Amino acid sequence: MKVVTWILRIASIITFSLMAFMVYSILDPNDIWHWNAPYTFVVTVFRLLSLIVFFLATTMVGGLAGAFAAGALPDNLVIGLYNTLVLRTWYMQPYGVSDPLTNIQQVWASFFTNLNDVLIALWNNTFLFLYFLCAGVGIALFLQSLARMDHKFVGGAFISIQAIVILAAYRALIVPNIDPLPPDFLQFLTTQGQILALVSFAYLEVSYQMIYSHSVGKPVEDREETLKKQLLALRQATRKQDAIERGEKVSSTGMSRSTGATAFSFLREAMERKVMGGQSALESLDAVSDVRRLQIYVDDLLQSDSRARDELTAKAAAPSSSYVIGSTITGSAIRFLTVVALSFILISPNVVQMLLNLPIGIRDSVELIQPEIVMLFLVPVVLLFPFSAAVISWMSKREVVEGEKLTKEEKEEAKARKKNLARKRREAEKARKARAKERKKRKGDETGVDEWDKALEDAYKG
Amino acid sequence: MITQRGFVVVFAGVLLLTSGFSFLNFYLVLLGVYCVIGLVVTLPLFALTANLAGIEVDRQIDKVKLFSGDFLRVRVTVRNASRRHFDFIEVHDQYPETWILAIGENFIASRIEPGSSMTFSYILQARMRGRYFLGPTEVIMRDRLGMHYYKRILKEHTEVLVYPTWKDVRRLESFAKQRQLGLMFGAHRTKTVGMGTDFAGFREYVPGDEFRLIDWKTSAKRGDMVVKQWEQEKNVQMICMVDTSGSMGNGYPENTKLEYAIRAAVLLTHMGMERNDLVGTCVFSDIVHGYVPPGKRPNHMYDVLEILAMAEPKGWSDYETAISHVVTQTKKRSLIIWMTDLEESPAPLLNAMKTLVANGHKALIISPFGPWFEAPVGQFGPVEKVLSEAVSEELWERRNKIARALSRFGINVINVGPEDFLPTIMRTYEQAKQRGVAMF
Repeated sequence: MKVVTWILRIASIITFSLMAFMVYSILDPNDIWHWNAPYTFVVTVFRLLSLIVFFLATTMVGGLAGAFAAGALPDNLVIGLYNTLVLRTWYMQPYGVSDPLTNIQQVWASFFTNLNDVLIALWNNTFLFLYFLCAGVGIALFLQSLARMDHKFVGGAFISIQAIVILAAYRALIVPNIDPLPPDFLQFLTTQGQILALVSFAYLEVSYQMIYSHSVGKPVEDREETLKKQLLALRQATRKQDAIERGEKVSSTGMSRSTGATAFSFLREAMERKVMGGQSALESLDAVSDVRRLQIYVDDLLQSDSRARDELTAKAAAPSSSYVIGSTITGSAIRFLTVVALSFILISPNVVQMLLNLPIGIRDSVELIQPEIVMLFLVPVVLLFPFSAAVISWMSKREVVEGEKLTKEEKEEAKARKKNLARKRREAEKARKARAKERKKRKGDETGVDEWDKALEDAYKG
Repeated sequence: MITQRGFVVVFAGVLLLTSGFSFLNFYLVLLGVYCVIGLVVTLPLFALTANLAGIEVDRQIDKVKLFSGDFLRVRVTVRNASRRHFDFIEVHDQYPETWILAIGENFIASRIEPGSSMTFSYILQARMRGRYFLGPTEVIMRDRLGMHYYKRILKEHTEVLVYPTWKDVRRLESFAKQRQLGLMFGAHRTKTVGMGTDFAGFREYVPGDEFRLIDWKTSAKRGDMVVKQWEQEKNVQMICMVDTSGSMGNGYPENTKLEYAIRAAVLLTHMGMERNDLVGTCVFSDIVHGYVPPGKRPNHMYDVLEILAMAEPKGWSDYETAISHVVTQTKKRSLIIWMTDLEESPAPLLNAMKTLVANGHKALIISPFGPWFEAPVGQFGPVEKVLSEAVSEELWERRNKIARALSRFGINVINVGPEDFLPTIMRTYEQAKQRGVAMF
C-alpha cells in the first residue's frame, strides 16, 4: 500500500502545484505579486503605530503640562519625544518631515492627512499581504497534508489557495471567470476558469484518495510496528528484572519513552505500580510478576500457535494494492465525469431554458445570466441525492444498533437465574416473618429472660 | 451520515458559491457547485453498497473462566458475507473498562472483499473478579473519500467469569518452595490419641486397658505395667461466611472490605484442601447467594471460586437467614468464620450466633474495620479529619460492645485492616488446627 500512497502523493503534489501556478499566472496581470508586499505591510503597520504612539505621548505630555506648567507645552520635550520615539526607534518618518524635527507645528499641520494616507496605504497593503499570507498558509497546509495525511490540511490548503481568488474578486481584479458561459459543452470544458476549477477539484479528489490509501494500509502496518515495540519492551523489562534479581548492575534502558513504555500501556502501568505505587514490597512484586507472566504467556502463545503472530498483527487484513489502484482510477474518473456533466447542466442558462421552456420575457431577462440562477436547480438536485440515499437505507432496513442475540439455552439460563433469585428472596422473607412471629410469641411469655438478650442488654447498658 | 471531512467540503462549497454570487464570478460558482455535487453525488451508491448487514463478526476466547490478573487472548474474525466490496471498514471490539489491554490492539481498519474475512487478536488482562462481557463490536463503514459513514453496533457478547485473584496462593506457595520442605513442614497437626498408626508415647496401665496394648519390653525395663499409645491425625471442618452487604463494598476500588474477605476465603479454602481439612463457603447478604458445603471433591475449589466471583456488594446482612441455611445443611460440628463488618443491627447477629452455638458449632468473627479501608486521615482537611475521627470512635465503641456481648459465649471478634486481614485468617486456621476445634 505504501507504493500506492506514494503514487497518489506525487499526483497530489502535481495537482496542487498546477492549481497554485494557475492561480498565480491568472492573477499576475493585476501586478499583485510584489515580493516585498509582506515587508511593506509590516512597515505600514509600524508607521501607523508610530503615529498613534506619538499622538498618545504628546496628548499625555500636554495633559501633564496642563496640570503642572499652566498649559504651556515645552516644544523641546515634544521634539525630543518625536526624535526618540519615532526616528530612533523605528527609523521612519511618515509625516513628511525628512530631517530631525525642530518644529512641532510641522507635524500637527499635516497630522490628519498623514493619518489618512497611512490608513489607505495600510488598506492596500493589507490585500497584497493577504495574497501572500493565503499562499503561504496554503503551501504550509499542503506540506502538512503530505506528511500527516489528514483531511483537514487538504481542505485547508484548497480553501487557502481559493481564498486568493476570492480576495482578488472582492478587489475587482482580473480573476478567473467563465463569463459569458459557453453554450457548448466542449467549449465549456476548455475555458481557462473551467480548467482551473477541474485542477482544483482534482487536487481535492487525489488528496482524499491518497489519505484513503494511507489510512486503509497504515493501521495494519502500525499494528505490526506496535506489536514489535511491545514485545521488545516486554523482553527488555523481563531481562532487566532477571538481572536485578541476579544482583547485576543494570544500566538504564536504551529504549526511549516514546518507543518503549509509552507505546505499551500495560508495561507502563506495571512500571508505575512498581515505582510510584503504594511503595509496598508486595505491590512491586505483583508488578514484576505481572510482566513476567505476560512474557511467559506470550512466549507460550507464539510457540503453540503458529498463526498467533499474524493474528496479533492482523497481517492478513492488509488490502491488495492492485485493487486499490484500479478502483481509485475508475472511481475518480466516474466521479469526475458525473460532477462535470451535472455542473454544466446546473450552471448553463441554455440547459435551464431548454428544461423549463420559459416564456420569451423571462428567457431574455437579465436574471437568467446571473450566477444566482444556479440555485434554481442546485438545491433540489443536491437534496435529491441524500433523499434517495435515505430511501435506499430505509428500504434495506439496516439496524444501527442490533438487539442482543441470545441462544435458547442462554435465555433459559438467565430466566432460571432470575427465578432462583426471586425464590430465594421469597423464602428469606418468609423465614424472617416466621422468626419475628416466634419472637413476638415468646415476648408475651415472660417466664424467663433469654441469656443472649441479657448479654445484649448488658453490653449496651455498659 | 456526513463525516467531519464531508463538512469541510460543504463549507468550502458554500464559501465559494456565496463568493461567486457576491462578486458575480462564475468560476467561484462553478467550483462551489463542484464541491457540493462532489460531496453528494456518490451518496445513493454508497447507501446501496454499504449494507453493513453483510458483515459478520465472530469473537473467540481461549477460556471463559480465568483468575483475576490472568491474560486472555481474544480473536475477532470479521467476515464479509455479502457480494459487495467494503472500501473502508473499522471494527472496534469493546472490552470491560477495568481490564487492561496488554498486547495488540482491539480495533482494525481495512478494506474487505466479498466472501473474505480478516482476523485480528489482542491480549487482555482481567483485573477484577466478577462476571464480565466482551463486546459489543462497533462496525463503521466509510466511503473511499471518507465523507460519509454508516455505523452498526453488534451486540455480540461473550461472557467471561473472572475468579478472585490467585496471587495470595501463589505467594504462599512460593514461600513454601523457598523452605524446600514444603508447605506442611512444621505446621501443627491436630492429633487424637488412641487408635492410629503413629506412635504417641507410653502411659501407665489402668485397669480396663486391653492387654494387647501393653508394651511388655518397656514394662520389663520400668518394672511397671506400661501401655503403648498411638495417635492419628484428625482434620477440622470450617465454613467461611462471607458477608456481601453494601457496606462491605466500601474502600478503594480493588481493596474493599469485600475483596479482602474474598481473598481470605480463597486462601483458607486452599490451605484447608492442602491439608485435607474440609472448608465450606457461604456468600450471603439479605439472602444466601451461594453455599458450597465443606468437601474434598476435585472441583470443590472451583465451586468456591465461582460463588465468590459472582459476589457483589449490595443489600444488607441477614445473619439469621444465612446461618439457618448453613445449619440445616451442615450436620457435623464446624468452626464458622464470619467475615463481616458488623455494620448491621447487633440483635440479628446475636440471634444468629445463638442458633449456631445451639447447634454445636464454634464461631469466630473476623471483622474488617471500615475506617481502616477508606482514605487515610492524612488526606483530609481539618473538618473532615475531626468528623472522621468522631465517626471512627463511635464505630469502634459500637463493635467493642458487640465483641463484649459475644465473648460471653466464647465467640471472639478480631478487628482487621487491609494489612492484617490475610495473616489473621492464616493464624486463625493454624490455631484452629492446633486446638483441634471442630474435628471430624
